[in-house]
Amino acid sequence: MAPAATTTSTDWSVDYNNKRRQELFRSPPKDKTAYPTLAAAVDPHINSFNSIFAEGGQLEQGIKDIGTKIFLDGDLNVQPEDAGERNRFYVRIQKVFLDQSTLPPSNKFAIKDHRLVLPAECRERHSTYRGKLTARIEWKVNNGDWQEEVRELGYVPIMLRSNRCHLQGMSPAQLVEAKEESEELGGYFIVNGIEKLIRMLQVNRRNYPMAIKRGAFTNRGPGYTPYGIVMRCVRPDQTSQTNALHYLNDGNVNLRFSWRKAEYLVPVMMILKALVETNDREIFEGIIGAAGSEGLTERQFVTDRLELLLRTYKVYGLHSKAKTRAYLGRKFKIILQIPQDVTDEEAGTEFLRRIVLPHLGSTHVTESQNADKFRMLLFMIRKLYALVEGECAVDNPDAVSNQEVLLGGHLFGMILKEKLDEWLNSLSFPLRDWLRKTGSSFTSQQFHSDLRSQIFKRTNENIGQAMDYFMSTGNLVSPTGLDLQQASGFTVVAEKINFYRFISHFRMVHRGAFFAQLKTTTVRKLLPESWGFLCPVHTPDGSPCGLLNHLAHKCKIATQSVDVSAIPKLVAQLGVSNKSSASLEFSVVVQLDGRVLGYCSPKQAKVIADTLRYWKVEGTHNVPVELEIGYIPNSTGGQYPGVYMFSQSARMYRPVKYLPLDKLDYVGPFEQPFMSIACTDPEIVSGDSTHVEYDPTNILSILANMTPFSDFNQSPRNMYQCQMGKQSMGTPGTAMRYRTDNKTYRLQTGQTPIVRPPLHNEYGLDNFPNGTNAVVAVISYTGYDMDDAMILNKSAHERGFGHGTIYKTKICDLEEGQRRGRSSKHVTRLFGFAPGGLVTAAWREKLDDDGWPRVGTELRHGDVIAAWHNVSYDPSTGEYVNRDGQTQLFKYKEDEVAFVEEVRIIGSESGTEPCQKISVKLRVPRSPVIGDKFSSRHGQKGVCSQKWPAIDMPFSESGMQPDVIINPHAFPSRMTIGMFVESMAGKSGALHGLAQDSTPFRFDEQNTAVDHFGHQLMKAGYNYYGNEPMYSGITGQELAADIYIGVVYYQRLRHMVNDKYQVRTTGPVNSLTGQPIKGRKKGGGIRVGEMERDALLAHGTAFLLQDRLMNCSDYTKAAVCRACGSFLSTAPTVTEFTRKKKGTPIVRCRRCARLSAGSESKSDTWVDGQGIRFTGGDDIAVVAVPGVLKYLDVELASMGIRLKFRVEP
Amino acid sequence: MSSYNPASNTGAATGAQQTGSITDDRSRAVEYTCGDCDSPVALKRGEPIRCKNCGHRVLYKQRTNRLKLAEPTIPAAT
Repeated sequence: MAPAATTTSTDWSVDYNNKRRQELFRSPPKDKTAYPTLAAAVDPHINSFNSIFAEGGQLEQGIKDIGTKIFLDGDLNVQPEDAGERNRFYVRIQKVFLDQSTLPPSNKFAIKDHRLVLPAECRERHSTYRGKLTARIEWKVNNGDWQEEVRELGYVPIMLRSNRCHLQGMSPAQLVEAKEESEELGGYFIVNGIEKLIRMLQVNRRNYPMAIKRGAFTNRGPGYTPYGIVMRCVRPDQTSQTNALHYLNDGNVNLRFSWRKAEYLVPVMMILKALVETNDREIFEGIIGAAGSEGLTERQFVTDRLELLLRTYKVYGLHSKAKTRAYLGRKFKIILQIPQDVTDEEAGTEFLRRIVLPHLGSTHVTESQNADKFRMLLFMIRKLYALVEGECAVDNPDAVSNQEVLLGGHLFGMILKEKLDEWLNSLSFPLRDWLRKTGSSFTSQQFHSDLRSQIFKRTNENIGQAMDYFMSTGNLVSPTGLDLQQASGFTVVAEKINFYRFISHFRMVHRGAFFAQLKTTTVRKLLPESWGFLCPVHTPDGSPCGLLNHLAHKCKIATQSVDVSAIPKLVAQLGVSNKSSASLEFSVVVQLDGRVLGYCSPKQAKVIADTLRYWKVEGTHNVPVELEIGYIPNSTGGQYPGVYMFSQSARMYRPVKYLPLDKLDYVGPFEQPFMSIACTDPEIVSGDSTHVEYDPTNILSILANMTPFSDFNQSPRNMYQCQMGKQSMGTPGTAMRYRTDNKTYRLQTGQTPIVRPPLHNEYGLDNFPNGTNAVVAVISYTGYDMDDAMILNKSAHERGFGHGTIYKTKICDLEEGQRRGRSSKHVTRLFGFAPGGLVTAAWREKLDDDGWPRVGTELRHGDVIAAWHNVSYDPSTGEYVNRDGQTQLFKYKEDEVAFVEEVRIIGSESGTEPCQKISVKLRVPRSPVIGDKFSSRHGQKGVCSQKWPAIDMPFSESGMQPDVIINPHAFPSRMTIGMFVESMAGKSGALHGLAQDSTPFRFDEQNTAVDHFGHQLMKAGYNYYGNEPMYSGITGQELAADIYIGVVYYQRLRHMVNDKYQVRTTGPVNSLTGQPIKGRKKGGGIRVGEMERDALLAHGTAFLLQDRLMNCSDYTKAAVCRACGSFLSTAPTVTEFTRKKKGTPIVRCRRCARLSAGSESKSDTWVDGQGIRFTGGDDIAVVAVPGVLKYLDVELASMGIRLKFRVEP
Repeated sequence: MSSYNPASNTGAATGAQQTGSITDDRSRAVEYTCGDCDSPVALKRGEPIRCKNCGHRVLYKQRTNRLKLAEPTIPAAT
């Protein structure tokens, strides 16, 4: 076939494309997906994971950073000076591999082509999709040869569709073959059958010194001021080290850093002197500007402080680079875990490598890299003084321009690197143990032979397990904390309630759990810097509002550093000098990824930025288009000026059109605030605008784009829709058969919306319909539509409007709670009825011969799902025998009727064990009932209040009846004009057979939406404004007003009464107080609290209150002694001779009774439980009291407080 | 839902208790469908779970061939 015929088209319009979609569905394309835009939405996740194991990728860099670990033998207790010669044991990791997911070799049964473990199998088996991690390590003793050793490090979860996944590069046809969605996106992990993803976090922009003013800085000690410069330096392996400069009252500057969760402060002068061989003059001129440069005389503020900075450092008396390094090395040798026999100077060098500005060189640091670090530090001090002086403003760490995104893959790689590092470090314990036990040395033959069996084996090599723990809990167990502000909440479940929710997870960016506790709302503010990067609409309301954002749909995230090797040269050609002058008016900095390239005049800086931008869009001079060129112009007290370029990964960037070349340019959030980007073509200002947006809707997220005519709505309504779109019952996918989600919802009668933007097709959302088109009349017709209630046409309901299903998966696991030791090979329980045991017909009603439920069976509360029995292994026959003949059962505990949809019998990975686990998928039909929640796409939610008979519904002149009636009062205060427009557009679309484009910002004052759709309606013979005369369905009379009726897309939300209602009269009670327990699940009640009590009191409904608080709660009849007024002294009497009689026992007061003297008449004496005779104490009354009152009495009595009750009459 | 459910094992359940039978289905094999190759797999009690054909580890239970009647009291012959 010709290639033109075979390639799948990826162009989409707003049309329905029925035939094309049908064909795509029936025969999924064999070449590529028809929806590349959708696949691009998860690219940041997949690409960041891919970069971990890529050539020269994150882990490779990480291994370089870990370097060679050195362990010493000999006596550890003696001082290094008198220990004499010790042997050194070197270990380093050479390479780390992650295999694809396959069956373990212990499985001998699977045939050759079926040994792959596909993700679908992991979902079905509730297992983890993982691959084996192996490391090739090298070791040597002293100066011997390097020896190789391969260690297995356990099984690590694999991201789907990454380069370690079987699904990578699969065509839709192959994906369907692999039991996936045809548009499976990947980007998540499968852990214990649950789909999990690492959510993206907003973190400080890397390699940019940020000016911060924070009150908490003063807590560091006396003299500390709120001023600081913070720079998050990122190493090539994506791990970061934050360096902060603090300004002290006297003008001194200290460098702060964290190492293994502890904070350290070092005078910045010491670092400067250690980095390069320098002198005070060089430092002085580096900070303030060259001697004789312009503006030097006006910089008295900085000169004074600098002088002090230089002077106070003299107390250390460290005069050369070597001495300074040795001093630093001596102080930090232990903290950095540097071997004891390393010299102080080397340790100091190591300190500089690891901690000081590691983004400018973190492995094999060269002299020029140290000079870079030196110059960067000088720049930071310069900025700090400028900040203190008020020459520049503080940078806002909450603005997107000063942020980047910590990607899931990067975090995963960071953790992996740290675990590898830890593993190597953990060698020291088994090594020390071995040395102590054997008393021999590293050079001995025994060491060689014992290394594998006794030393490596005794380390915790199961890195896979640690990664598994991270993925399943989201908790970060780390000795360093990875320079992050939180230790938990990194992973979330990728819920597939519907496709909107699923896809939103991958576009979600969180500000960090730390900020959720902040009382200030500044971090949550929507800032103009976010324009085009974070969606202004798509954020939840409530506690995560503004912290949990979603990326605009065109926003991309860099996952690779771009090649910028040409930039320094180009900048040098454009004219920068090494020396700066004293004033910002004469020289500003030019930086690339946190490296000072030079200084130039502000005018020149603009030329450099403009020229580089032209080249980068043009694609010439080796300037990559993804490069971010942040030109910050000079201002009075604004952001510190300069040209800051960024080329590394984790940056956000987005496409806009560059006007001079009419070509695609990418802009980042750092440069954007200082650029002039026109929103639409008419807004271009000649001579000012350099860029124009491709489309104003680019600022919206995928979901926000799906709200039709959202520009007509009041903005909070659009936010509500973004929430409700994610809660609607929809179509999670087509591979439902192979999924075992705990709970999924499915809408049986999903439709494509008549009114939708072209993006709906581009993202392939017709594969996952999320609602139904409904004829909606806005009319107050019955009494049942007040307060956002809606009336459903009963016939529409009977035709299947909004019919949904819930699928629940119940796992019956025989090994649950049982820790089967590794040694015992045999199971102790088997599914099925105990042989020879009693099997009731009621069980057999639901269960098959094998003890598993029949597919299709109806289940009610208390029905059995599966039967099992205890067994023990009989080695003589090799069979499992049951000895007790008892059959145990798994029961269906929910109250709703369900049907068994699927029964999955889950075998072990080795294929040798009898079944220990089944997973039963249940189907709960949920047709709409009164009380179920529905919503249009405009934040207009309502509850179904009646299913009104079709004959009583109003009808139009053409005989149409509405499917849904809503109350007109829903509109005036909410101002969801978009819904009216959708109604009109839907109506005309349905009449003409059109798909209506509902993209926002398409209409204006001259061409109004109403006019556009009104004329369409007119052409179809309908009223221009979309209202129609209607007739009462009950009387047949024409209604006095014309009714607004049209077609609106309705979503059925997943909140249904059947999951919510809670009623009780009597039921389970708390055993201590006798009051009803809490919780719907347990059949508890809803508390009638103080306010409810007040309301009942106010209404004078005393009996109702009595009923609630007493009769339905802890109503108790208690015997109380009238004479002494005590509950506690009453005791039931015991009849001496006859057996216990029925009825209420006779109660007497022990306290008021006297011991019987024997002379009383028999009718006056009574006997207690011990057989002691008493007389008297018969003034007893039975009263109704709350049960807790008696309990209170007992509690008080235990403290020696007596309650006395006066009982009257 | 509230768990206020009056005990429902009246009539039918107690009747079932009495008609309870002692069965020995040690020898009876039930047929399943392989999750990978769709071939039928017959398994007996205690046998390891895997497809005889391809060694796959997930099996599906087949839909019951039992008649679904309005009165589910009549047990079908199996």
